[in-house]
Amino acid sequence: MNQKLVNILLVEDDEVDVMNVKRAFSKNNIMNPLFVAGNGVEALEMLDDKIIPLPKIIILDINMPKMNGIEFLKIMRENEKLKNISVFVMTTSNEDSDKINAYNLNVAGYILKPLSFEKFLTSVATLKNFWQLCEM
Amino acid sequence: MEESEKKCQEELVALKKEFEEFIYIVSHDIKSPMRAISNITTWIEEDLGSVVNQDVLTNLGLLKNRVKRLENMMNALLELSRVERTELEFYELNIPKMISNCIALFDDTAHVDFQFKADLQQENCFTLGLKMQKVIMSVLDNAIRFNHEENRLVFVDVIENENDYEIKISDNGPGIPEQAIHKIFSIFYTVNSKDELDTTGAGLAISCKIMKLVGGKLEYAPGLSSGSVFTINWPKIITLKN
Amino acid sequence: MRNANILLVDNRKTTIENIKKSFLEIDSKHTLFSAENENEAWLMLDGTHKINPVPKIVLIDVNRTKKKGINLLNAIRNHPDLKSILIFVITDSDEDINKAAALNLNIAGYIPLSFESHKLNYFLSVLNDYWNIIEFSSQK
Repeated sequence: MNQKLVNILLVEDDEVDVMNVKRAFSKNNIMNPLFVAGNGVEALEMLDDKIIPLPKIIILDINMPKMNGIEFLKIMRENEKLKNISVFVMTTSNEDSDKINAYNLNVAGYILKPLSFEKFLTSVATLKNFWQLCEM
Repeated sequence: MEESEKKCQEELVALKKEFEEFIYIVSHDIKSPMRAISNITTWIEEDLGSVVNQDVLTNLGLLKNRVKRLENMMNALLELSRVERTELEFYELNIPKMISNCIALFDDTAHVDFQFKADLQQENCFTLGLKMQKVIMSVLDNAIRFNHEENRLVFVDVIENENDYEIKISDNGPGIPEQAIHKIFSIFYTVNSKDELDTTGAGLAISCKIMKLVGGKLEYAPGLSSGSVFTINWPKIITLKN
Repeated sequence: MRNANILLVDNRKTTIENIKKSFLEIDSKHTLFSAENENEAWLMLDGTHKINPVPKIVLIDVNRTKKKGINLLNAIRNHPDLKSILIFVITDSDEDINKAAALNLNIAGYIPLSFESHKLNYFLSVLNDYWNIIEFSSQK
């Protein structure tokens, strides 16, 4: 299958969590171009000002400074250019309210960051298979 | 007089709420750097490869183990803070059935024999089912976990009093040394070193908090010749102070 | 994560049978309901045959029934209690006439696949694994 790899934007403020994702991607041979924004405001700037090519997938943390994930998601869904991007929430928040808000804004999935790296690797492997199924 | 009493009561409620929120925020926010430590340790292990000093590997293993303990303690604190905030649904419960189900959850545990007796007129009770289950599971877990006998025995006897159900859980384990008895309900206290047993020591603390919430009792007494006897008095009628 | 209710909407009996069989073979812990057309599906979501609790996932091929599939998705997205349902489009159609419309409705995935049984197991097990790693909010 000759698929062009879509761009992925990671919106995450914790530098170790960013390393987590990068490392898990590399271990799972995920070769998609990965861009990183430190919070919702930065992400919107990167997207609006076309600083980065438009991603098809956004991996979104919820608890971030300046603008949290849910606020970012609201704005994104009201933006013609951005509203159809697939969003996968990756967060430590196990709060029902966050899950409800995220699904109400039509995220494609809500994933809890596990404590161990090994578990995270497995989740990312599953994510990769899913993305390949959707031809991303 | 009434005015100041009312004010005291309001302050108490506010203080309790603040305490619950404090525990929640602390344990919730601390999880992030903890996860980072655990992950980075794994990466160091991986990056070191196969040719590495055994001591280094052992120490990294210890590091991960201690972080896991931290995680267990955080989860215990979170659970403690949630006792009065979650799973407060009342529903109709068949007490003997519920206890049998709890016992069945230990089916996979080797070398344990349960003897369950329930002598009840009113088997059904409209109560905080999940909380009751939690307490019984904690005490049952303790009865097994610290028992190193070849053949472990756990006796569960339930009788009905006028206003409550009395559930006695006894075991043929080592019992609790006298100097430790008053400490066992404190959070994180374990009689033995945590290096020997992988447990946070929070089960009884959480159970105690639940018993306070429902207006019941959880007490320890040494067994006749040896072992422990935990008695749970679960009230038939529960009024939640809100 | 836990056991979720899944509603499959497809007008081919064989497809439904194949998917049900596949679910059993991959040992999925989720519960599969099926509707043979969009009207029946709507009754199961918001009408006389309402599934309880409400399904968290809908599986549908929007390319099979002209506009009806998209109309159903639209109705789901506009309903206050149903709008957060995860929708996966699974299609074996070569012409994805309704793909753009579906993507506009924030579906969770657009999945071209084959409904032949031996390939189906793989596709559904990937989906099942995915459903197992994501969180759902507590049942309504």
